Amino acid sequence: MNIVVCIKQVPDEPIIRIDSERMTLIREGTESTINPLDRVALEAGLHLRKHNGGQVTVLSMGPPRGEESLREALAAGADRAILLTDPAFAGSDTLATSHVLARAISRLRPFPDLLLCGMKTIDSDTGHVGPQIAEELGIPQVCGVNKINLEEDSLVVERLSDGFLDTVKVTLPALISVSRECCPVRSLPLGALEIAFSQGDVTRWGCQELGVSEEEVGLKGSATRVRRLLTPAFTRKGEIVSGSPRLLVDRLIGTLEAVGLLDEEDG
Amino acid sequence: MDKGSLLHGVWVFGDYRNYFQNRVTLQLIAKGRGLAETLRTRVTVLLLGEAVHQYAMEYIAHGADVVMVAEHPDLKCYQVESYTNVVARWAEAFKPNILLGGATSFGREFFPRLAKRLRTGLSADCVNLAVDPDTGLLLQTTPAFGGNLLAEVVTSQHRPQMATIHPCVFKELPHNAGAVGRVVYPEIEVKANTRVRVLRSRRQQVQRDNLQDAEIVIVGGRGLGSKNQFKLLFELAELLEGEVGATRPVVLAGWADEERLLGQTGKTVKPKVLISIGTSGALQYTTGIKEAETIIAINRDPQAPIFKMADLGLVGESSAVLPLLLETLRNRI
Repeated sequence: MNIVVCIKQVPDEPIIRIDSERMTLIREGTESTINPLDRVALEAGLHLRKHNGGQVTVLSMGPPRGEESLREALAAGADRAILLTDPAFAGSDTLATSHVLARAISRLRPFPDLLLCGMKTIDSDTGHVGPQIAEELGIPQVCGVNKINLEEDSLVVERLSDGFLDTVKVTLPALISVSRECCPVRSLPLGALEIAFSQGDVTRWGCQELGVSEEEVGLKGSATRVRRLLTPAFTRKGEIVSGSPRLLVDRLIGTLEAVGLLDEEDG
Repeated sequence: MDKGSLLHGVWVFGDYRNYFQNRVTLQLIAKGRGLAETLRTRVTVLLLGEAVHQYAMEYIAHGADVVMVAEHPDLKCYQVESYTNVVARWAEAFKPNILLGGATSFGREFFPRLAKRLRTGLSADCVNLAVDPDTGLLLQTTPAFGGNLLAEVVTSQHRPQMATIHPCVFKELPHNAGAVGRVVYPEIEVKANTRVRVLRSRRQQVQRDNLQDAEIVIVGGRGLGSKNQFKLLFELAELLEGEVGATRPVVLAGWADEERLLGQTGKTVKPKVLISIGTSGALQYTTGIKEAETIIAINRDPQAPIFKMADLGLVGESSAVLPLLLETLRNRI
């Protein structure tokens, strides 16, 4: 079974720091990692390979430093890593990103049996790219899967969707996006990481290798534009109090009393 | 059918599978009405399934001008590929200007595929929509950069302008039994999808949601420092007869179950008082609490963004404040 896992490199910190004057991300000093749900997808792929044989290829589109995440994937046990990188890719929305990934997948020989990815990323959180790759490749998709069973030439998967537990049979090739419950994630042994970073091989493909024009990718190939960034507006009282724990507790209790959720103390 | 009057409108995907989805559809009809009035066009709801026409009256009573129905046995189960085929053909025929859907599990699986088929843009999980008075473009406001900022997204060259919308950000219109609308059955071609088959679909037990009903909600963030500190919130909740919520980092750290998750990927709460402890205030979280009547925040960092949306911000160590608060309340009750 030949499996492709699509991963995205994301900032490691739950809080992303913003330069509020320039409205840009502060990248200095932020560590990057594989998007947590993509990591689950990778484990699910490795698990299927263990029981059914075949190869696991990891793909990632991003700037050159995305190579680090692919090396992490190699350390976890992936057979092959391909970084899709080209200055022309910058500014791609999900339509353009899915195009680059789908073109890369369609170049693989043999064509993979299964595509895996996380159901969404922690940074942009759209969940669009998986279904859009499936659409471009003309293969079926099932999203938010928490259990995968292989049955001959199809998969039987389970997923929770809007209050329903669905059991779905899908023919291969197919794209599956996974939820956190799909597979436990092992921590990576330091030795494997060292080997992957010193000897691991990461192939790089750009526009030329993929046979895509610059019109199809990046800002030019995107249908959406970010017109501006806004800071959320708040209309709260915004009273800030510093002081001893006693003072803070008294203010808190006073507020609960004021809104009638706590009876006022006698005397 | 008078095709001209159906062209270039505002379309809403009719998601009726359960109460919650039904509500988000009604909320989008209400918002769609506002957009359609500005753009001098109509609101059309798309209704796909088997024997679903009873929902059409409901949508009209809540403000839809037109309901487009596709009924077929093979549309009975929610099915991304069959639904994409039907809606894409309709969109090609009637060229809607705007196409909206709820950011439900199904909406978030279906809309990306549909947008790709139509070669158009899609924004995810929007928290506001408006029409730009200068260009007439749909301004789609969506959380960006991990939810610390809002991005105003436009789809200027491609149609329809597509967006999924976070549930509960818009208010539905009251039910008006006297409302008049049209129900139309445009031509469809449905091929049985043999690639994806739903073998079983079981409704999960719906539990009364204590968190969403609570008058007091106490939320802990990773700033609490440890699972043991987080456990103190349950004690506090018991004393105040409230419920405990959690932020994403806390759920990821395993301090709380996913069902307590608040925010963009979790629940939305509207309690009388919300006490937010050790939470920095990322928008992904605050999206879920912004309708609380009163917000009290405790954080050691006076610069924490949570203070910008709090009515009362207490700057201090939660490890000192929490035990004292518990002790004080125990002595009173």
